[in-house]
Amino acid sequence: MALIFHRGIIANSQFFSRSSGVLFRRLRASRSCTSARGEGTANTLKEELIQVAPKRALEPNTHGFEAIIGIETHVQLFTLTKAFCSCPYVYGSRPNTTICPVCMGHPGTLPVLNSKVVEFAVKLGLALNCGLSMTSKFDRKHYFYPDLPKGYQISQFDIPIATKGFIDVDLPVEFGGGHRRFGITRVHMEEDAGKLLHSETGSYSQVDLNRAGVPLLEIVSEPDMRSGLEAAEYAAEIQRLVRFLGISNGNMQEGSLRCDVNVSVRPIGQSKFGTKVEIKNMNSFSAMSRAIDYEISRQVLLHSLGQSDQIFQETRLWEEGAQKTFTMRKKEGLADYRYFPEPDLPEVVLTKEFVDKLCQGLPELPEAKRRRYEKMDLAMQDVLFLANDNHVAEFFDASLENGADPKLAANWIMGDISAFLKNERLSITEIKLTPFELSELIASIKNGTISGKIGKEILFELLAKGGTVQSLIEEKDLVQASLIFLIVDPAAIEALVDKVLAANPKQLEQYRAGKTRLQGFFAGQVMKESKGKANPLVLNKILGVKLKGES
Amino acid sequence: MATGMTMSDATLLRRLSTLLVARSGCPRRMRLFSSYIVRGATFEPPDVSHLADSARISLAPGEVEDFGPKIRQVIDWFGQLQAVDLESVEPSVRADAEVSMYKREDTPETFENREAIIRVAPSYDDPYIKVPKVLSKE
Repeated sequence: MALIFHRGIIANSQFFSRSSGVLFRRLRASRSCTSARGEGTANTLKEELIQVAPKRALEPNTHGFEAIIGIETHVQLFTLTKAFCSCPYVYGSRPNTTICPVCMGHPGTLPVLNSKVVEFAVKLGLALNCGLSMTSKFDRKHYFYPDLPKGYQISQFDIPIATKGFIDVDLPVEFGGGHRRFGITRVHMEEDAGKLLHSETGSYSQVDLNRAGVPLLEIVSEPDMRSGLEAAEYAAEIQRLVRFLGISNGNMQEGSLRCDVNVSVRPIGQSKFGTKVEIKNMNSFSAMSRAIDYEISRQVLLHSLGQSDQIFQETRLWEEGAQKTFTMRKKEGLADYRYFPEPDLPEVVLTKEFVDKLCQGLPELPEAKRRRYEKMDLAMQDVLFLANDNHVAEFFDASLENGADPKLAANWIMGDISAFLKNERLSITEIKLTPFELSELIASIKNGTISGKIGKEILFELLAKGGTVQSLIEEKDLVQASLIFLIVDPAAIEALVDKVLAANPKQLEQYRAGKTRLQGFFAGQVMKESKGKANPLVLNKILGVKLKGES
Repeated sequence: MATGMTMSDATLLRRLSTLLVARSGCPRRMRLFSSYIVRGATFEPPDVSHLADSARISLAPGEVEDFGPKIRQVIDWFGQLQAVDLESVEPSVRADAEVSMYKREDTPETFENREAIIRVAPSYDDPYIKVPKVLSKE
């Protein structure tokens, strides 16, 4: 356990000492519930084997070097109040309005933990397949900065609420696809700082403390990523996860999802890590990917020029305009945060009942969705699209409930419906089309009531105005006197067939002599007679019977 | 962001020694390490200037020499705890014996007297709190 007497050694902020097994045994919960559901062990081995092959193919040409990438993600939680006081937090509020003496760090105040924060932390820990610490604590992390009112941040240092998990991702098809599993070192709870802005003149700075005290979950990954692509997909999956769980809106632009990346390179085969460089200021997943790839090539270049000592352990900023990383400052030794347990907060204790209840309440996670959709024989492209957004997946699943064919439903959603959403700038929860009606539409086309072309027209109506497929078909029937409605009445079609056969005795003879492909000719003739309204399925059935000579 | 305050000896001593204890690690009821710590009489003298810098307390040169031994004394008082026999004591996560089961609900409450908070800010440039230009984090 962490803090022993160091003889004048500056406490390394990254230092954990593993000690008494007794203590840790008491702290650890049993493995997360997703593995208990049977998802885990059998599939994981297979996936790890799959991992090895595609990995090599996807690495950028790094001239015999491999990149080691680790990511620290801060997720701002969706709670109604801050972590340690009851102030609300609304993004975009007027500066310094959602504040109180507690989050302002005024003397005589005490923090009180928001119970929702623990709930969200446990949910995330379970979703990331972590082991939970049934008892954990908060610590103070000291540093001075104007956006940190108390002069310390309440965080968790040596006993985080969740440790040793993993996350499964699928790389995008257009980049080669493939499964990956990345390790999660830890997840812990902490509070956010305020915002610091610089005045236009630059002679002073400005502080907005609305955000001070907002709860964060910090997710530290194992250094398992090997390229910008893998890192970006990891971050995207974290975003998907926090949205699926409903604990954050995971928005990089708003700052509710922040990623700091650590990149180092080493010659392939070497076990010792290279110098680690931290990169900040990436505002999107694609920026992350490009920043990392740039940094990898920068470091590899220095290595190849024999200047690997020019790689310093520092923080670099990604400049979107220049598409390069620039030095922010060199790290002068390791920061001394003077961690000690937060005396004003009690232990965080989790009970088995609490954890089990949350476990059972977890929604189906993105990874499980992808595997389920894969089993439906959908193309990987479709799988990734459908499982990307929770609402889209729900819509899709709901339409299947009524018996719609998965491939057809997927096509409609990915094609016409998506195009509509994009044009109208709507989300799938805002359209008037219901999943039930989509399945009705698919069924109507499948059984021949309407053609595909008509289906598209009806879809547009349904998306914009709602209603039911049935009523629209009938409506249009009234208005345009069965222009849409195909003739399905067998007797009517029989009559047409008889007429056509009587009018073409020569072809009928040839058919009965063996030229069976003349059936197409007859079908065309009947269609012509019916002005294109004969139902093809019924038509061919009756035609087949009549041609053979049975009446 | 230095706060060049002067304060009484006792307060200073308390702050600096808390800092040192925090830096070195809390004296814990750690049975595993008790024998190790008893040997801690060879603890290095505190680097008082560095400590004062970390705490953003300015000390006059004379005070720097003065406080070294005084801080050492405080640490030694804590060191006496190491003599306690911990064989029958369960290791704990933190010092508190009781565990509070109070759960704060996630219900927003607006603080009524925001103006009073703004009023005590030394420099306010509506709607921001004005601070000297900041270059980099500590």
